[in-house]
Amino acid sequence: MLELQGLDKSFGAVHVTRNVSMKLERGERRVILGPNGAGKTTLFNQIVGELTPDKGTIHLAGQDVTGLSVAGRARQGLSRSYQKNTLFDGLTVEENLGLAAAVHTGHATRLWSDSLAKPEVREIVAEVANQVNLMPYLHAKVSEVSYGVRRQLEVGVALATRPMVLLMDEPTSGVGPEMSKGFHDLLNNLPRDLTILIIEHDMDLAFDVADTITVLNYGEVVFDGLPEAARGSKLLKEIYLGSWEDA
Amino acid sequence: MDLGFWTLQALNALQLSMLLFLLSIGLTVIFGLMHFVNLAHGSLYALGAYFGASLAATGGYWTGFFLAPVAVMAVGLVLYTLLIRRMRKSGPMAQVLVTFGLIFALLDLTRIVWGDLGLPMNAPEILSGRVAFLGVEYPAYRLFVVALGLGVFAALAYVLSRTQIGAMIRAGVDNDAMAACLGINVERLFFIVFCVGCALAGLAGTVAAPLLSVTPDMGLHILIPTLIVIVVGGLGSLKGAIAGSLIYGFVQTFGAVLAPQLASMLIYGFLAAVLVIKPAGLFPAKG
Amino acid sequence: MFRHNTLRYGALVLLAAGAVAHAVTAGYFGLEILTEILILAILVLALDIVAGFGGMVSLCHGALMGVGAYAFALLSTKAGISVPLSMVAAVAITGAGAWVVGAVCARSHGIYFIMATLAFGQMAYSYVFEAPVFGGDDGLGGISRPDLSLVGIDLDDSRSFALFCLAALTLVYGAAVITLRSGLGRSLSGVMHNAQRMRALGLTVWRVKADIFGVSGMIAGLAGVLAAQHSMYISPGLLNWTVSGEALVVVILGGLGTLVGPLVGAAAFVVLKHEVSALTSYWHLVVGSILIAVVLSRANGIFGWVEARWGAKLDRRLADSTRGTEAQEVTGDA
Repeated sequence: MLELQGLDKSFGAVHVTRNVSMKLERGERRVILGPNGAGKTTLFNQIVGELTPDKGTIHLAGQDVTGLSVAGRARQGLSRSYQKNTLFDGLTVEENLGLAAAVHTGHATRLWSDSLAKPEVREIVAEVANQVNLMPYLHAKVSEVSYGVRRQLEVGVALATRPMVLLMDEPTSGVGPEMSKGFHDLLNNLPRDLTILIIEHDMDLAFDVADTITVLNYGEVVFDGLPEAARGSKLLKEIYLGSWEDA
Repeated sequence: MDLGFWTLQALNALQLSMLLFLLSIGLTVIFGLMHFVNLAHGSLYALGAYFGASLAATGGYWTGFFLAPVAVMAVGLVLYTLLIRRMRKSGPMAQVLVTFGLIFALLDLTRIVWGDLGLPMNAPEILSGRVAFLGVEYPAYRLFVVALGLGVFAALAYVLSRTQIGAMIRAGVDNDAMAACLGINVERLFFIVFCVGCALAGLAGTVAAPLLSVTPDMGLHILIPTLIVIVVGGLGSLKGAIAGSLIYGFVQTFGAVLAPQLASMLIYGFLAAVLVIKPAGLFPAKG
Repeated sequence: MFRHNTLRYGALVLLAAGAVAHAVTAGYFGLEILTEILILAILVLALDIVAGFGGMVSLCHGALMGVGAYAFALLSTKAGISVPLSMVAAVAITGAGAWVVGAVCARSHGIYFIMATLAFGQMAYSYVFEAPVFGGDDGLGGISRPDLSLVGIDLDDSRSFALFCLAALTLVYGAAVITLRSGLGRSLSGVMHNAQRMRALGLTVWRVKADIFGVSGMIAGLAGVLAAQHSMYISPGLLNWTVSGEALVVVILGGLGTLVGPLVGAAAFVVLKHEVSALTSYWHLVVGSILIAVVLSRANGIFGWVEARWGAKLDRRLADSTRGTEAQEVTGDA
């Protein structure tokens, strides 16, 4: 579904990702782990299109999307959530979801009809609100709901474009341990055929939700495999836990 | 069109560039340092011309030349304390609007004080003639303006690159939060830069007065060219201000003699092209 | 996204009633002032759509109005096209021009956007000034108003023409509300809040900005057509950036991003201008001081200030008294 081949990116003399490759099957849930500065965010930005790789290609559902813009990739079925909530604060939860659904259904650029009144848009909004438990908050403004709800909405907005691949940038960033548990449930609620790539540095959560794990260190893939194998890996402990204590 | 023609036009262009440079440098550094958009900068230029003309009428040209910038700086000081300091934390939109209001208010205030008619101001005796220069006869006063502009440019380049306060200004333009962390009093730095910027605007007005007629709306007329200069050059940089001034001066002057029909469109087209291709200007202060 | 509230409906009803009453009773000068207000109101609605709802502070709306005026004048007087068709064509031409400007400037932000729009506006101004076909500094005359004698209306009568402009303003207000509530309008508010996120959702942000700028340009073009018909003579001064600056001042004085506020602003501005000009020749000092005071007060213009003080309270009181019955939606009355 999503295939990265030999992604290389450097800023000046600093090589941030080196020859990163991975392949996600349809419905696969993969977590990318790595200490701070391992190149996770740079890799993420290359996948979504904020950065252009110096070398390498990105294929989405068999199509080369390396040359596409952020918006172009989103239209091909790649959606993302942000580490820091990136919502439309003055609007309601429903309107936030509606904006995304409208883009997906093509109503976002229509001049003579209200996108939020369209049945296809309403349907997506209701479905996503159910998936990420936002039903009770639909008519509340973003600025009026709790941080945890905003975190759910962050995922909801990304889902409302009906993506094939969902990329999540530290989805539990800033929420407490109970919320992390809630996030686990939220992921379980999502359709199984949705391919999910998560950047995370909470190891427990990663082992909990991942089908497969990739570990980055100094911009290179140092591990790629099943969580069970990663858990036992000595290499992982050394590079990851070593610096984890410092962080 | 012989060589003399080209020399003459080049000198005209240079003279216009230098006037614009004196105006734009203050505006661009104020913006670069504090992200403050002061549209009323052109009004300070008009005030400089009025102060210069009035002082020259009583005490001779050089009285006006030296005192008008000081007087304009004093006006700038009043504006700073009453208005601009308060607007520092507001968004660019509010700043644009307040200083836009200031343009209107100052326009009428100059009309109230000096009347609607233009004021005359003569070049000093010693610079009133023409001199032979590079094979053409050129007004000495205009050469003086060119020399003055180049002198100010050299002085500012020296101050910005070689002195401690210059280093502080560069640090402030680059990253004001970081500069504040390094113990630089950004607030005081801005105040100093603002005063110098006002004085330079006043100086530009004074030296422009004998070349143009001193009228209430001269500040409004110069505002757009000044803005074009700093936007084309890139906000916040000395290099951008001088480059923008030269580009404007030459495009405008040569456009007017070579393609009079297109001259005024040429410079706006150029501005639009720069904004499309390099949205941050040719020599932006920040990367 | 634009929403009506009780206060906005109330203000619209008052404004409409005031305009109609004035149109019926006023003498020649009163009607001239009313028409001036109505045309300015159309222009500032156009500006409020882009500046207030899209964050695109334009300094070329005066020029767009001028483009509409000149296009109409040229088509109807020199190209021999009928007046109604010329009006439609002028509006379309202005809209297309605005779309291009919007598309080119869409990448710029803040002061750069302002400067970029200024550049395009001044380009149009210079071109109109220089090109002989536009009559240069002398302008163009002999412009006629639409012929509505079939329905028994003589638009050469200033009362009928004022009502004609009022009808146009009503239409434009309705179109503005529909635009802002459409899918495109919602996307625009999304872009203003957070362009990066809209892009990540797959939206072509520049297209949204350009489309809205085009719609706004059509409205500004209509203001230009009416301005040309009103004075029956046009000069390049119409396109100068100071006209755009003045329109921006009106939007700010009225209340940015409220649609109703700019209408209030237009009325207040024109009336004040005539009153002050009658007393003193220092009109600019007055408007400059008011502008500074309004911005320093941090209120969103006259209407924004009223709304912040009483708008919510009024809505709550009404909601209490009419519990259970939803207020009916009325759109398009001005």
